Amino acid sequence: MDANPRSALTHRCYPQGGTVASTEIIPHQRCHNQMMKRAEPRLAAPARPGMTASRAAAARAGGAVRVAAGLAGLAVAAGALAIAEGPGRATTYAGSSPAGAAFTLSAGLALIAAGLIIRLDPGARRTGDLALLAGVTWFAPVWVAWQDGPPLVPSLAMVAGGFTFPLVVHLVLAYPDGRVGSAPARALVTAAYAEATLAAAVLALFRDPYLDPGCLANCNVNVFLVHPVPSLANAVEAADRWFAVAAAAALTAVCSARLAAASRPARRRIAPVAVPAIALAAAVAARAIALQQTTVEDPFNPALFTIFAVASAAVIAIAGGLVAGVTRARAERRAIARIAVNLSAAPAPGALQSALAEALHDPGLQIAYWLPGARWYADATGQKVPEPAARPGRTVTRLTRDGHPIAAVTHAGTGPGLEGHLGPAIVLGLENERLQAELLAQLDQLRASRARIVETADAERRRLERDLHDGAQQRLLALSYDIRLARASAEAAGHTTARAALTTAAEQTQGALEELRELAHGIYPAVLAEAGIAPALATLADTAPLPVNILSADARRCPAPAEAAAYFTVAEAVADAARRGAGHATVTVIHDGGRLIVTVADDGAARAASLAALADRVGALGGSLLIEPARCRAEIPCASW
Amino acid sequence: MRVVVAEDVMLTREGITRLLTDSGIDVVGQAGDVAALLHAVRTTQPDAAIVDIRMPPTHTDEGLVAAQQIRTEQPGVSVLILSQYIEPHYAMRLLEDHPERTGYLLKERVFDVAVLIDALRRLADGETVVDPTIVARLIARKRTADPLDQLTEREREVLALIAEGLSNRAIAARLFVTERTVEAHVKQIFQKLSLSTDPDSHRRVLAVLAHLRTT
Repeated sequence: MDANPRSALTHRCYPQGGTVASTEIIPHQRCHNQMMKRAEPRLAAPARPGMTASRAAAARAGGAVRVAAGLAGLAVAAGALAIAEGPGRATTYAGSSPAGAAFTLSAGLALIAAGLIIRLDPGARRTGDLALLAGVTWFAPVWVAWQDGPPLVPSLAMVAGGFTFPLVVHLVLAYPDGRVGSAPARALVTAAYAEATLAAAVLALFRDPYLDPGCLANCNVNVFLVHPVPSLANAVEAADRWFAVAAAAALTAVCSARLAAASRPARRRIAPVAVPAIALAAAVAARAIALQQTTVEDPFNPALFTIFAVASAAVIAIAGGLVAGVTRARAERRAIARIAVNLSAAPAPGALQSALAEALHDPGLQIAYWLPGARWYADATGQKVPEPAARPGRTVTRLTRDGHPIAAVTHAGTGPGLEGHLGPAIVLGLENERLQAELLAQLDQLRASRARIVETADAERRRLERDLHDGAQQRLLALSYDIRLARASAEAAGHTTARAALTTAAEQTQGALEELRELAHGIYPAVLAEAGIAPALATLADTAPLPVNILSADARRCPAPAEAAAYFTVAEAVADAARRGAGHATVTVIHDGGRLIVTVADDGAARAASLAALADRVGALGGSLLIEPARCRAEIPCASW
Repeated sequence: MRVVVAEDVMLTREGITRLLTDSGIDVVGQAGDVAALLHAVRTTQPDAAIVDIRMPPTHTDEGLVAAQQIRTEQPGVSVLILSQYIEPHYAMRLLEDHPERTGYLLKERVFDVAVLIDALRRLADGETVVDPTIVARLIARKRTADPLDQLTEREREVLALIAEGLSNRAIAARLFVTERTVEAHVKQIFQKLSLSTDPDSHRRVLAVLAHLRTT
């Protein structure tokens, strides 16, 4: 309820000539009436324009609409100026002083101009319309003061004035994606429109300006009035002020939360709109509280005028911020278009991500490609990455092509504005890189599978060696022991023939033991697994058919597959050197940057056959084998698999 | 002589035990793993332990580790490692810390009771025992410029016996020459091979093995 002594103002304040107070953005002003028209813009579906011909036609039509809207806006502004200089001289901020006129005009025109500029962008047409509408309603409180004109005009203006604030709230919260993203923001926008509509309707139908103690301008007119109910009108006006305070607080909260949650690039983008929006909210709340005390919005009241000035400046800043945002988005689109041009040259994996990050000034941008076969996401090099998920300040835009998912882009921003920026060429580029990532991922899997095969084979060899050692060799040992016992008893009993046979058997057993030992060693030298490559190579040199100099053998250990690959490389190369009649061979094994580098050089005849099996084994571990006529060099990653 | 036998394969362990017992050697303890071995050695204070190189739990080099521990903790106990590997690396690792009273023999050799008894006696005398097969392989190793070519036939024989761990006296007895002659040969060999180790120390076995391996 009004805090004002109602009795003092039982009359209309200024019989006529007085304009309404509402010169600013607040939901609705006092002095309104009648039926609201459907000022509630049920906003158009997200305009994602089709293509080509229809788009060109739309652009032409858009041009005409823009010219008409611009002219209309100018007319509204010019009319407001005229009214302010005439009948509104005492009742409007615009009429109260040149500064007031300047604030009123520049704020309203800023919104109209912003609307026209934003409308140039087909994707942002709805935002442009909102700004245009806000600009026009901004002048409504001045038009209320037009007491010489047709009574319908001030009556309509009383209704329209209440919608400036909801429209600006909508603009602010729909920035920068053109859609009000979060649930609290949507609730705030909806509530603001609903409250403005309800208040405007009640006041239009039941408020007789003449009986309104808060009426200042043009208090004779309300063509929509059905029946004056002053108590209802006053109650609604008071409720409207409290709502304005609450809505301003909510707007401040939402904008602050957005700023706080945004990543740095996103914050740079949001701040030009969100910060003035907070200032505007403060002005709106201050005005509502001030009116609670004074009831009449007297433009000559210094406090009220200051609040109006702050609100106007905030609106101008918001309009500027909106235009800057659209301009920036346009620049980004052009940058993205340039990427598309550069895609003609085959880009390296990941080039698209860095190009997009640069174009969008978002160094943290990440592209994850969907691999339908593997059913996980990968980066451009085919490495598995966690499924992209939105988090504060980061949005995930999932891109599809012909209904199939291609990629998920994690980027700064609060809403899904990215997809519209990426033209078909970029999407094609993404699809291309996705295919490449898929290939690389498959290559990786293949590599891992080859490595597993080698590892399994090695493990099998080791197991075989152990089985021989613990099984056949032990049994032969036991057999040779038994033969010796038998021979001893044969000897004691004087069976010379049996003794001779048993001696032969003992020798045979001994021979079998030796062969078995060599076999086991060849399958997998136990010392390789237990003590590493250096001792194993020393033993290899002990038994090699030609002199083998081990110039250096690093004693550091590597995973078994790498050591085995290094050992068998040397073994194979030494055997090959012997086949080619080499006089000697030299071996070096060094660790270098996480790789085992094995070199075997000899002085034999030039190599005829390639060491294909060796190349396979080394390659399977992600290493490389260089075969020269009398030298071979293997590089084997010494990392755990 | 009192001996502990450690070998995880029961057949082999019992075979060795029986051979030793038949030869009048007192087997005071049998062990199937390292813990039991160490316990038996501590409690029975034997003259020697015969230890399989590969025992539970990992079947890698438990025997070697146990041997070194026994030689460190109880210097009076000789250790004879039995192995199926002709692996100088293991033999040299065994001799590195405690060259005297340690031995490395191929397992199949212990069933020749004379060899086994001889090895135990030599260890008791403070000598070292390295399986002749290992030494023979090292001497036969292919070399580019073979320093062993400078040695006479007799010197090579002496070199091999040094590498097997025999003392000068034992070499003299083996070759039917005087100990003084052996000393002269040893001095010659060490000079020709430029070995700087004291020819009379226990370290000479390891020095010769290392030399044979790296040239």
